[in-house]
Amino acid sequence: MSTPAKSSAKSPRETSSGTSRETAVLPPLDDPSVVAEHRRMKRRANRGRSFTYVAAIAIALWIIIPIFFVFSMAFTTEETVRSYPKNFLPFVPFSTETMRFFLGSEGVLKGLLNSVLVALITLVLSTIIAVPAGYAISRYVFPGRELFRISVLAVRAFPIVVLSIPLAVLFIRTGLFDSIWSLSLMHTALALPTTILVVSSVFASVPYELEEAGQVFGATPVQSFRHIVVPLVLPGIAASGLFTFVLSWNEVFAASVLTLDNRTLPALVLTSLANASPAFQFAGGFFLMVPSIIFTFFIRKYLFNMWGQVSK
Amino acid sequence: MKSRRRSLVPYFLIAPALLYLAAFFAYPMFQGLLLAVYDDEATLPLLDGPTVDGAEVGRLSQGSGITISDRQGNRLADADVVDNDEFATGLLTEQWFQVSGEGIEGDEVSGWMPESRLRVRDEAADGTVLGGTIRPRLGQSGDPSTALRAEPNESAAEIGRIGERVAVTVDETAVLEVWFQVVDAETGLEGWAPSRFVEVFSDDETGRIDRGTAGEFTTKFIRKMVDDRKFSSAWRTTLMLIGMILPLQFVLAMAMALVIDARLRFGSGFLYVFALPMGMSDLAVGILFFSIFSGNGLLNSFLEAIGVIDAQKLFLTADTQGWILFAIVLAELWRATSIVMVILVSGLQAIPRETLEAAELFGASYWQRVRHIVLPLLKPSIQVALILRTILAFQVFAVVIALSGGDVVTVLANETFRQYFSLRNNNVASAYAVFILLLSIASAVFYLRAVRAQEEVRPS
Amino acid sequence: MAEIRIESVTKAFGDKVAVDDVSLTVHDREFLVLLGPSGCGKTTLLRTIAGLGMADSGRISIGGRDVTYLPPGERQLSMVFQSYAIFPHMTVRDNIGFGLKMHGEDEAAIARSVDEAAELLHIEELLERRPADMSGGQRQRVAVARALAMKAEVVLMDEPLSNLDALLRLEMRAELKRLLADIGATTVYVTHDQIEALSMGDRVAVMRDGKVQQIDEPNVVYDSPANRFVGSFIGNPPMNFIDATIDLAADGSARALVGEHEIVAGAALSDHVTAAATDRLVVGVRAENMHVTVEHSEGALPATVQVVEPLGSQNLLTVLVGDSRLKVSTHPTFPAKPDQELWLRFPPEQLRWIDPATERVIYG
Repeated sequence: MSTPAKSSAKSPRETSSGTSRETAVLPPLDDPSVVAEHRRMKRRANRGRSFTYVAAIAIALWIIIPIFFVFSMAFTTEETVRSYPKNFLPFVPFSTETMRFFLGSEGVLKGLLNSVLVALITLVLSTIIAVPAGYAISRYVFPGRELFRISVLAVRAFPIVVLSIPLAVLFIRTGLFDSIWSLSLMHTALALPTTILVVSSVFASVPYELEEAGQVFGATPVQSFRHIVVPLVLPGIAASGLFTFVLSWNEVFAASVLTLDNRTLPALVLTSLANASPAFQFAGGFFLMVPSIIFTFFIRKYLFNMWGQVSK
Repeated sequence: MKSRRRSLVPYFLIAPALLYLAAFFAYPMFQGLLLAVYDDEATLPLLDGPTVDGAEVGRLSQGSGITISDRQGNRLADADVVDNDEFATGLLTEQWFQVSGEGIEGDEVSGWMPESRLRVRDEAADGTVLGGTIRPRLGQSGDPSTALRAEPNESAAEIGRIGERVAVTVDETAVLEVWFQVVDAETGLEGWAPSRFVEVFSDDETGRIDRGTAGEFTTKFIRKMVDDRKFSSAWRTTLMLIGMILPLQFVLAMAMALVIDARLRFGSGFLYVFALPMGMSDLAVGILFFSIFSGNGLLNSFLEAIGVIDAQKLFLTADTQGWILFAIVLAELWRATSIVMVILVSGLQAIPRETLEAAELFGASYWQRVRHIVLPLLKPSIQVALILRTILAFQVFAVVIALSGGDVVTVLANETFRQYFSLRNNNVASAYAVFILLLSIASAVFYLRAVRAQEEVRPS
Repeated sequence: MAEIRIESVTKAFGDKVAVDDVSLTVHDREFLVLLGPSGCGKTTLLRTIAGLGMADSGRISIGGRDVTYLPPGERQLSMVFQSYAIFPHMTVRDNIGFGLKMHGEDEAAIARSVDEAAELLHIEELLERRPADMSGGQRQRVAVARALAMKAEVVLMDEPLSNLDALLRLEMRAELKRLLADIGATTVYVTHDQIEALSMGDRVAVMRDGKVQQIDEPNVVYDSPANRFVGSFIGNPPMNFIDATIDLAADGSARALVGEHEIVAGAALSDHVTAAATDRLVVGVRAENMHVTVEHSEGALPATVQVVEPLGSQNLLTVLVGDSRLKVSTHPTFPAKPDQELWLRFPPEQLRWIDPATERVIYG
């Protein structure tokens, strides 16, 4: 504490006011010493908060700078990409040369298309399968419900690598190998547990009383589901669908193992990483990141809902 | 919540998911386990003659040394001749043609002869042989004519002979698989086997059993994995990385969670940025950090700009494993901390505000509150996050490939990939996968325990 | 000495001003209740005293020490929270001793204080248990014991009884009052329950829209509300309000008319009417302060019974006087049934006269 403020707080009136048992009399509220003291103490009280802002900005920079660097390299000339030392000015010079080089590389357009198709098929398949299951878990009490829930949870913990190889062998035998369908089947298996849990938490957030209320007012169970539940859960289901899309888009191990000529983008990038030019890498990195950046934006509202539930 | 008694509806609803997980999860999982311990090509039955319906005289295990005492062609069913990589490996074939032309007696003859006796003169656009002339037997005494047989087989009955240089038309083509009569170098067991299961050495006399057709349980894939020169470095590195990453990750995630929970202005903006890496693949992040640590990458440029170094420093070479590990740790920290943060924030949000205010009011400083209130109450979330991260950390490999080429520094998942992708060894790859699975199950047991712990702590 | 002095404290959340230029003093060892409907700013005011939300402007001092912007831990006060805010992972003993431990007391002293506090609240046998399996009443006792163990001169209470069931609340109310009187702490107690406020407080401060409407002893607040809001908020049933016209006679004396009927007004009313420059006033009168008769009497107003509610110790009648609906309490034996005609007489000394423009009680 600064001494001037404190000494001025002991005004003459206090000393004249008598015994020490009496409450000390403070200077009037608009006294400059009080104003100054309050300002100082406010600052002190806010110091922790300022520190939190500094930490927040530091962490945000740590996350943003690498992304920014890759994005800026993805939209510049090949010469800049190869140059050293790199300039720190973003997107200077701005050019689509890197991007054109990447998109013109062999297999890239097909890989992009494959990735989109696989992700879409996975999204549709896993949503169709997960929605009834999620609804059952959140709405019904039935023998085996806990067992099912725990199994789904446990499945999440199993590593992809264990699945990929036997599936590859299986798909080779059945002639499904190296097709976007086989990969979608695999990705659906990967996404399903999470999707089921997320969907069930989305349904759980819509009270069953609403459905019952609908039925009380004369709707059939299907109608009340259609008109009351569906509109309320649609955003949550969409978020889980986005999650599935990104999971499939990102998945690289199974994609590399299960495809040969029909590579998805990550598999293509991974298998050609060793002899890829920097331009190829940056533009590839850009394409791999974009969906997740969009995804995170749309699901940020559901983040804790989803992962809070999933992590239970 | 509905609790219709004994309703079948929920079972119908979960049936598709159950079936799907059974077909594409449980079954392959089982197959994967099997691949690691079951060799379905372990032994090769030897037959008493060069035909598939011959009687079995004994079995040779894969890799047995043999000598070849005789060989003979055996016509393949057309269905077998389709392009089939697995089938064709090691397959020795010869073609026989059914030809017709003028025989040595001047009559019209028709019969089978091997491809070695025909000079092909006429082919269809798709390569089908249509006709040719009989090759002369140069520098050979004896009968210059060629025998025609009833079947595409050396031992079939001779049904005519045809002279050299006579033009013939080809009516049919047969593909014969060569069968070997082999003698086991150790036991002397003798019998016939198709060429595709036998590897013949360059002397054309000796060889070994390449693969069998009958399976047996074996530990050889596991032994092969354990004996692999990369195995010990792979699991050591995996565990070391987990040991280095997880504590740092937890500290960083806790900081991020506390920042988010402080409800700053633009809090949702910070949350978005903090959560950004959550959806990114480890490959993308591997590339990201490669671009930072590569020779002409961001780090070098930055260090040179501020004058710390005056020439490029190479971080990602075989001699700088330490730097590679450092880059991997940073990349994983960057990528996977967000999910830990989200789990911790969910946990933080479940702590009533008044509980923290009470602690503050009763004189606890910020750090005392974190230590005495927040951390104990977050324990279940922390457990869950740590174990989830451990399981996922076993599966990381694209970052490692991107930063080290998958060679200088290797991890278990990367070895799995290498065994499958580069070495084409499904069984050893599966052994690696099963090893990862076992490590994961150990964590999963904790994981499920943690669930129970969390449910107990939560007040009703 | 722990007098709490609040001077011109204002606290806003965004555009919403929760506490609006409030000044009041809580005397040493006084039990002050902050009473008001939800959203009136009473909890916000308590939190600015506690330091859980800093005031935007003004000054709060405790015992002559300016604490306006001190963190809560340095204000030397303790608090009972509405949700009790018991630490679920600690035993009751650790909960009660938490504040002392944070203030660096030695173990023996903590144990002694914890035992004392536990004895006061009769929860000695709970000390080693965890809160998870305790009832609401037990948690409440732990929360109070934790606050008392601090031996702080100022104890703040934020609706501490609101989560208890009715019977337990009644029991705890008396016990809390006795405990706080015994230890002689200066207490600020927030509640929305007027019975709690009237029965416990040395003084009651009634708040509305961030401002203190009236601060006085319970019976004064009840009998002589400062304005229409206080009258309507306090008391069950609330005070009745009847529109009246004022007829100022040439001699300066004022007569009040409800409809056609004249209510005899006190002699001093005319001065107040003149000062307020209005010919319309609102008469406030409590249900138990009217005389009800079946027969007509001098100066009585005719009323029609609408509803009869027997409440045991009294019968509560809802009656119609002109256009005004009044609540009248009668002896339980009073014969009344719906649609019956009754006569009401208003004793002048029980009437409170309210200026409809300012809603302030101007006389009575």
